[in-house]
Amino acid sequence: MDIVVETDRLGKRYGRTWALQECSLHLPAGRVAALVGPNGAGKSTLLHLAVGLLRPDAGTVRVFDSAPYDNTTVLAEIGFVAQDTPLYRDFTAAELITMGAKLNRRWDAALARRRLAQLGIPPDRAVGTLSGGQRAQVALALALAKRPRLLLLDEPVARLDPLARREFLQSLMGSVAESGTTVLLSSHLLADLERVCDYLIVLHASRVQLAGGVDELVAEHKQLVGPRHGNDPVAGVAAVLRASHTDRQSTLLVRTNANIDDPRWTVHEVTLEDLILAYLAEGETQSSHEAWGVPA
Amino acid sequence: MIWMTWRQHRKQALFTVIGLTVLAALMVPTGLAMRNTMASTGLDECVRLALDSEKCNTASRQFSNEYSSLAFVGILFVILPLLIGLFWGAPLVAREVEHGTHRLVWTQGVSRRQWALVKVGFVGGATVAAAVVYGLGLSWWMTPLSHAGLSSRFSVLLFDMQGLVPVGYTFFAVALGIFAGAIWPKVLPAMAFTLVGFVGIRVALTVLARPNYLPASTRTYPVFGLASAPERDKYDWILAVGVRNPDGTLVVPNGTVECNQVVEGPGAPCGSEFGIEAGAYNWQLYQPAGRFWLFQGIETGIFVALAAVLLVLAVRAIRRIA
Amino acid sequence: MIEFVLDGRSKVNTYMQLVQQVKQALRVGLLEPGDQLPKVRDVALALAINPNTVLKAYRELEIEGLAEGRPGVGTFVKRSLAGASLPNQAKLREDLVVWLHQAQAAGLTPEDITALMETTMRATLAENAVSGRPP
Repeated sequence: MDIVVETDRLGKRYGRTWALQECSLHLPAGRVAALVGPNGAGKSTLLHLAVGLLRPDAGTVRVFDSAPYDNTTVLAEIGFVAQDTPLYRDFTAAELITMGAKLNRRWDAALARRRLAQLGIPPDRAVGTLSGGQRAQVALALALAKRPRLLLLDEPVARLDPLARREFLQSLMGSVAESGTTVLLSSHLLADLERVCDYLIVLHASRVQLAGGVDELVAEHKQLVGPRHGNDPVAGVAAVLRASHTDRQSTLLVRTNANIDDPRWTVHEVTLEDLILAYLAEGETQSSHEAWGVPA
Repeated sequence: MIWMTWRQHRKQALFTVIGLTVLAALMVPTGLAMRNTMASTGLDECVRLALDSEKCNTASRQFSNEYSSLAFVGILFVILPLLIGLFWGAPLVAREVEHGTHRLVWTQGVSRRQWALVKVGFVGGATVAAAVVYGLGLSWWMTPLSHAGLSSRFSVLLFDMQGLVPVGYTFFAVALGIFAGAIWPKVLPAMAFTLVGFVGIRVALTVLARPNYLPASTRTYPVFGLASAPERDKYDWILAVGVRNPDGTLVVPNGTVECNQVVEGPGAPCGSEFGIEAGAYNWQLYQPAGRFWLFQGIETGIFVALAAVLLVLAVRAIRRIA
Repeated sequence: MIEFVLDGRSKVNTYMQLVQQVKQALRVGLLEPGDQLPKVRDVALALAINPNTVLKAYRELEIEGLAEGRPGVGTFVKRSLAGASLPNQAKLREDLVVWLHQAQAAGLTPEDITALMETTMRATLAENAVSGRPP
């Protein structure tokens, strides 16, 4: 399988604070990947490193097998929509398309025009006067007009109302179906992700907590309900992510490495959302313990 | 990229052109009026032939009555480079970053270095062109005023308004603005930094450095005797004057004493109240008027060099912004 | 051509929901062999879902022999699930109505009926699966 984005012990520091550290992951081609984490987890930093806006302070990042920092060859293959979908507000949508044509070697202006026409976005009004949803669509159209092999989206729907969010994801998925572009989109909103993404990267407190295909991840995680459980290992359980106990009963969220055959445990499937929340909560306790200097 | 730069800055360029046009509309008629007055009163004749007649003095007085206040209009031009630095230089990078659009434009197919070079080239070129226009224009406008002997064009504000230096100042102000915006990418702080930095460096150079670009000349003439001040160019830039005793001690700072009597004789000797001894002499430290263009060149060179350093630093800083 | 809908609150996987909807349409005769299934792009666009999910659902249908992909054209229905059962449905429905009236007469509430149906169905169909009889 082709790897589009690959990082190895990647780190980025602002002053003395690490925004991202020890980040090793790979994103296979053709996936729609979600980069999930709370605000400040390092999502934007990772995306900026991947699009070459930032230079790593540690480790490496490779996109299409090249270092992306200040590399216009790689940049030509990447469509990027930054957070809050920044656009020159006094430009019209048509002028922004012209701008793209002037700044890129490969540019499909017809594609961008067609998309915006379909969405009913006026070509001759300053984009600053458009709605947030329309601006996001213009930004997406500009990113797609590069005919990129990798699309990076930083919180594309965070500021949109539900209808605009839906419309944005519709256009995104429609164009992914047409072009087969690999997508990496960051979000701290978990709804919609299950439908849209088939690959998941969970970041928390500047570290990667979890990365992998959604189906595989959901399949290997289970919720177990059974008798009050001490610390003795359960056959088939690789790690316990979360445990809650009553005096008689224990509920465990676990990562499995084999079938759970123990008849004392009832096995429940987990949803993607459960899974993400469990890993975020784990990261939370970890970093909190680190901050207080006590063992977790 | 050029299309892009033009599209982004065309409104700004339009405002600048309008501003300069308004200034020209103000300056051209007054400049012509001054020349007319000079011609009609015969003052230009006096200046050319260096005449010193009653008629010439009257004409000169009449001219200065009429126009001396106009010299203050020129002060406007001292702050013009600063305005250009504030409104062209500071927002160039800072506004992009403040609006987040740097992430749009730097992730297209153009490298940041190329972006920076075109932007700086375009804005720098446009501002330098504007500065050349108003620098030369103002030199033309000021000529009658300095010819009429109202002041030396070496004097602090007049030197700063005309000739080459406005080009240097403007280029420097723009570079300082770009640099400030690149290391502190917010429009208002960048403007504040530009304002403080520009005024600070300008004042420091004017006060401390300019009098010493070249070693100043010294002129001495005796206090006593009928031989008074030697012939001098009235456009010389006098840095300091005083009266020194024969041993060199300064007895009268900032003053000139001329006595046509000798120390002996009845009554208090001339200048004895200042402690002037026999053989004392008047002393002047000055930059000769002929060095005007040399000094213009030196000062412009300093500011252009500073601007170049700032631009190099700015382009480096731009590569670290994300 | 059919149109897919998604039940956001369902615990069933998105791709499974698509498979089930195609099967349902095949069962009730909405889709017949030779019909084209909606294009992947159109489904992805309409439902705002990952096109890979749609592809996965179609692949599942192909594996089950219900559909076939024609490169460059689309995915088409190959086999129907309506089969012989469709004409029989009217008769079966009549029987069910009679039985429901009996159940009501016996004092069962609608909830009781649903529970009885579900447990019986699960037990019976599970038996069939074990003994290898077609469902």
